[in-house]
Amino acid sequence: MASFVKKNCADVASPKAKKRYTAGDVTFNIINYTVFIIITILCVYPFYYLFINTISSNQLSANGSINWFPQQIQWSNYTAVFQLSGLRDSFIISILRTVIGTVCTVFASAFLGFMFTQEKMWKRKFWYRFVIITMYFNAGLIPCFIINYNLGLTNNFWVYILPAVVQPFNIILVKTYIESTPKSLQEAAAIDGAGVLKIFAKVVLPISTPILATIAIFSAVGQWNSFQDTLIYVTDPHLYSLQYLLYNYINQANSLAMLIKSNPGLSGNSIANLASQQTPTSIRMTVSVIVIIPILLVYPFFQRYFVKGIMIGAVKG
Amino acid sequence: MQHHSASKGKAVKKNKWISYKMFLLILPFLILLFIFSYLPLYGWTYAFFDYTPPLKLSQCPYVGWKWFKFLFLNKTQVMEFLKVMRNTFAMSGLGILTSPLPMLFAIFLNEIHCRWLKKSVQTLTTLPNFISWVLVYSVAFSLFSSSGMVNTVGQSMGLISQPIHFLDSDNHTWLSMLLWGLWKGLGWGAIMYLASLAGIDQELYEAAKVDGAGRFGLIWHITIPGLLPTYFVLLMLSVAGFLSNGLDQYYVFHNSFNMEHIQVLDLYVYNLGLGNGNYALSTALSMMKSVVSVVLLVTVNAISKITRGESIV
Amino acid sequence: MKKFNKQILIGLLAALCTLSPLAGCKNSSAVSNPAAQTAASDSTGTSGSSKYKDTIQIDVFDTQANYQGVQSGWFGKIVKDKFNMRLNIIAPNVAGGGDNLFNTRSAAGNLGDIIMTGSENGRLLNTAKAGLLLDLTDKIKNYKNLSAYPKALEMVKSLVSDGKIYAIPSKVSKQSATTSSDCNDPTYGPYIRWDCYTAIGSPEINSMDDMLNVLKAMQQKFPKSDSGKKTYGFSFFKDWDGNIMNNAQMSNLYGYDLNGTRFLLVSSDGKSRQSVIDENSYYITSLKYMFKANQMGLVDPDSTTQNYDTMFAKYQDGQIFYSLWPWLGQGAYNTTEHKKAGKGFMFAPFKNLKIYSNGCSQSGNGYVIAVGSKAKDPDRILDFIDWLYSPEGVESSCTQTTGSCGPKGLTWEMKDGKAVLTDFGKKALSGAAIDVPSKWGTGTWKDGISALNYTAVLTTDTDPNTNLPYNYTMWDSYLADNNTMLDASWQKKMGAKTTMEYLKKNNMLSIAPGNSYIPKASGTEVDTICNQCKAVIVQDSWKMVFAKNQSEFNSLLKHMQTTVKGLGYDKVIASDQKIADNLQAAREAASK
Repeated sequence: MASFVKKNCADVASPKAKKRYTAGDVTFNIINYTVFIIITILCVYPFYYLFINTISSNQLSANGSINWFPQQIQWSNYTAVFQLSGLRDSFIISILRTVIGTVCTVFASAFLGFMFTQEKMWKRKFWYRFVIITMYFNAGLIPCFIINYNLGLTNNFWVYILPAVVQPFNIILVKTYIESTPKSLQEAAAIDGAGVLKIFAKVVLPISTPILATIAIFSAVGQWNSFQDTLIYVTDPHLYSLQYLLYNYINQANSLAMLIKSNPGLSGNSIANLASQQTPTSIRMTVSVIVIIPILLVYPFFQRYFVKGIMIGAVKG
Repeated sequence: MQHHSASKGKAVKKNKWISYKMFLLILPFLILLFIFSYLPLYGWTYAFFDYTPPLKLSQCPYVGWKWFKFLFLNKTQVMEFLKVMRNTFAMSGLGILTSPLPMLFAIFLNEIHCRWLKKSVQTLTTLPNFISWVLVYSVAFSLFSSSGMVNTVGQSMGLISQPIHFLDSDNHTWLSMLLWGLWKGLGWGAIMYLASLAGIDQELYEAAKVDGAGRFGLIWHITIPGLLPTYFVLLMLSVAGFLSNGLDQYYVFHNSFNMEHIQVLDLYVYNLGLGNGNYALSTALSMMKSVVSVVLLVTVNAISKITRGESIV
Repeated sequence: MKKFNKQILIGLLAALCTLSPLAGCKNSSAVSNPAAQTAASDSTGTSGSSKYKDTIQIDVFDTQANYQGVQSGWFGKIVKDKFNMRLNIIAPNVAGGGDNLFNTRSAAGNLGDIIMTGSENGRLLNTAKAGLLLDLTDKIKNYKNLSAYPKALEMVKSLVSDGKIYAIPSKVSKQSATTSSDCNDPTYGPYIRWDCYTAIGSPEINSMDDMLNVLKAMQQKFPKSDSGKKTYGFSFFKDWDGNIMNNAQMSNLYGYDLNGTRFLLVSSDGKSRQSVIDENSYYITSLKYMFKANQMGLVDPDSTTQNYDTMFAKYQDGQIFYSLWPWLGQGAYNTTEHKKAGKGFMFAPFKNLKIYSNGCSQSGNGYVIAVGSKAKDPDRILDFIDWLYSPEGVESSCTQTTGSCGPKGLTWEMKDGKAVLTDFGKKALSGAAIDVPSKWGTGTWKDGISALNYTAVLTTDTDPNTNLPYNYTMWDSYLADNNTMLDASWQKKMGAKTTMEYLKKNNMLSIAPGNSYIPKASGTEVDTICNQCKAVIVQDSWKMVFAKNQSEFNSLLKHMQTTVKGLGYDKVIASDQKIADNLQAAREAASK
């Protein structure tokens, strides 16, 4: 037990293994840990609730009887999703757009964020504001559609990537982060004769890994979860993203339920079978669980970049 | 002398060349941005027409400022609009008041030294961000409805005699919307601060410890100032986004009983314009919102320059 | 940087590996693989491939479809065999985003090869004006099924500005305008749990007050549902609230409806009109009864916050006793097991009812089918549309929502000169998931149903092939086969085989003659005032139902009335009156 604690809980960054704990420290730690554990439980419970509802009988779930433990476990909700046609293709499309889109966005954000910290740039402030202000206006759906249509981006994979390359918010994050790092690093490299691009690649990027990881997470999640662009710009089923496929699936269930409203002449039995197997809510929950799981799997890979200050020290040394 | 001015001239020229070169490096990206964000702005002209799809714009009549005056046509509409603005201001204001919370979350999470606990807490607290508001409402319903868990347990334990109307009453609407928003966004919002924390120079901490600073001293004198730039930028962005609370959260929680306090501008616009396919009206409204946002942005930036000595953007 | 990227790639590949075996798991080949399917049907070399040389895939922009993708299964095979054509259905309902899909596709100039859309608010007029539809005026006379409905073509000409034929209406009928278009059950009606009703002695119900007392007695006798939850007379939901609170529709029980109007209840002959905020209107009366029911403890308190799914589950659980629509209560609770045990929702014998029912319309209704102006092979498409209106087409294509009988030989056959369901038909139509015989294609019956959701001809019309209605639930043979204990008990008390029969016999129907009137666009100002008023009306209606006492109810009513008047309510009513006038004139003309 003690060795487990020592191995996993020891703070890697702190070279001092021995620490004197005061009474204040202990109280603080107790409160801190408790608060965070409570917060975590509050965050996890709803997801847990969704999960047990998707593996329990849909009838019981709709009744609101499933709150703490699953009952009458059944997996039909998940098998139904995996039987959707086009699932494999859309999964591949989603993976592709997430990877390519994230790489492009991270690179663009890093580069632009860095360039905007270079005071020498021609009309730097003006162009920075030019970029930032775009966050605050939205031209509307139809003109955006027409422009993309005229550029040949409808029913085209690149409509997932190109419009998302320049993200003002990410650029702000990178710029702010770089500005808080010691200027001496860049100056030292400049004195050694490095040009702007070299400074970017060799000095700035390595110390910016935490913020780059952050942007990568935001961008990857954004790409993984988006479906609005598929909705508007894509009608070729081979280009559907996974989210869109699942969104369709949810809507279809909703529509089928609505269908009953306009048709009194249907025999009672066949209606019951149409809607009884999966309810729109059970489908929504299942889809949600399916979509969240890959994110949870990949997230830990990014976490290792949130380590305090090792990089700076290494570069400086 | 001549040599000096010649080399100075050369240096000036070289500097200018460097500054242009830097600009050229970012030019491709600026062009991309222009195409996708600025070019579509011609669509704002739709707001001046009585546009009914699928007709082409040229086939629709020009109506000038009609849609902009629309919300202020008669007294009752103006009253309604003012109520909506009050709600919007309240929710955004509360959001700004609680904006230090993600930062504090990151700071105190950082004080947890047990590595696996820290990582787990960090991962798990981001979960709510991925659950869509529709599903959040399903969970909320099962917990807080009149026959939901909280009421059932409360009644069986004798704490309450009648079910409490959590979801369909107008008491504390703002507070509950705020809490739901915090629950959903806290873990995710803290990510940025965690990243920034990792960028603070370790030497500052070492030096301060040598000077005898304790845990809170370190936080107050080093961590917080290190995070402040990020905080101010995000604060300013949220001020500029004052009028946009988002639609989803308020849409799923709204019902006839809390409408008074829950209807924010985005929901109001949705109910008014989009529900009826009135594209021109919603374009006019979005135009007005954009103008207000940019004005707020400029104002906050100026205030920051005056008070802190440096502008944020 | 390189290491960073590598980590990401590895991580994502890991994710891909864990999930891909599951993803590739079970791809029901018939449903997902149109290519394989066309190969299968091509090999039979049917007549379709000979008349039409190449296989084409056409885009069908279908506003009412509930499925998006290529039509597959047995219906897809029929279309492929006959027309060498695949239908790619584009469904705004499924794609989401409301009108976005319509707006963006029309902005790009190509809605689709076939377009199915409503025509209210000038939608058809504008779509034609924007040049998105093909002019069919000259070609129509070559198609005998389409030309068989001249009144429909007249109506559609009147909807556009240049008098040309751009579309064909749906739900056309050869029956007279004063015949009801409902099948066995009306669209609205007081449906209650028949078993509970009999258990309390089947007391007489002369009015809504009596009904409330009956429901109270039921609640006292049966305080717990099938799963042990508390029972209620009513459970409401807000999902479908439009201009008014959707659940407060008692007006339909007395012959009034909001048909094309926004806030004006119009009687079935068009003569009497009521403004919904008027204290004496049936709408406010509904609210009064709902309020009374709530005071009596008959209303589920979850009504204010739940959505349709949750409420539906309560009906399935037997928690609710009253259903305003037959398809809700019956759809949820009248399963075969329950019916055999004598339990289920049936029409309650209620005196003085005049249930509103839409008459058949020889001009069809405003939901139309059109050919896109950029369509590939318009002649083939018109052949297909003509087939949709032919008896075989109606039999095969209208099965999803309106219960037509399906293709001859598959689900029904002629026996001794009468049409009866085949064994396959009996099983498939009652919901069993059985595969269709291989000569009809692959997949189950349910998966192969036409996803177009387009009712070309009213299915209560007579099928010339069988001399019976297209809708098999009206066939004597079907009714005889499906008589359960529940039906028998009800039929004994009511003296009729179906609800409609009872209503017709006792003159309890108020039929609005089918007509060709489609309201024109009223202008964006009226529309926006309408939106603002409806928000107030819906909000206050809910509060009124759940008011604590009568005085709160009254003050809320006053608030509703003053607020909407202040917003310009009267302008909307004026517009509604004009619509009602036109409606009245059309109905009178149709009933001659």
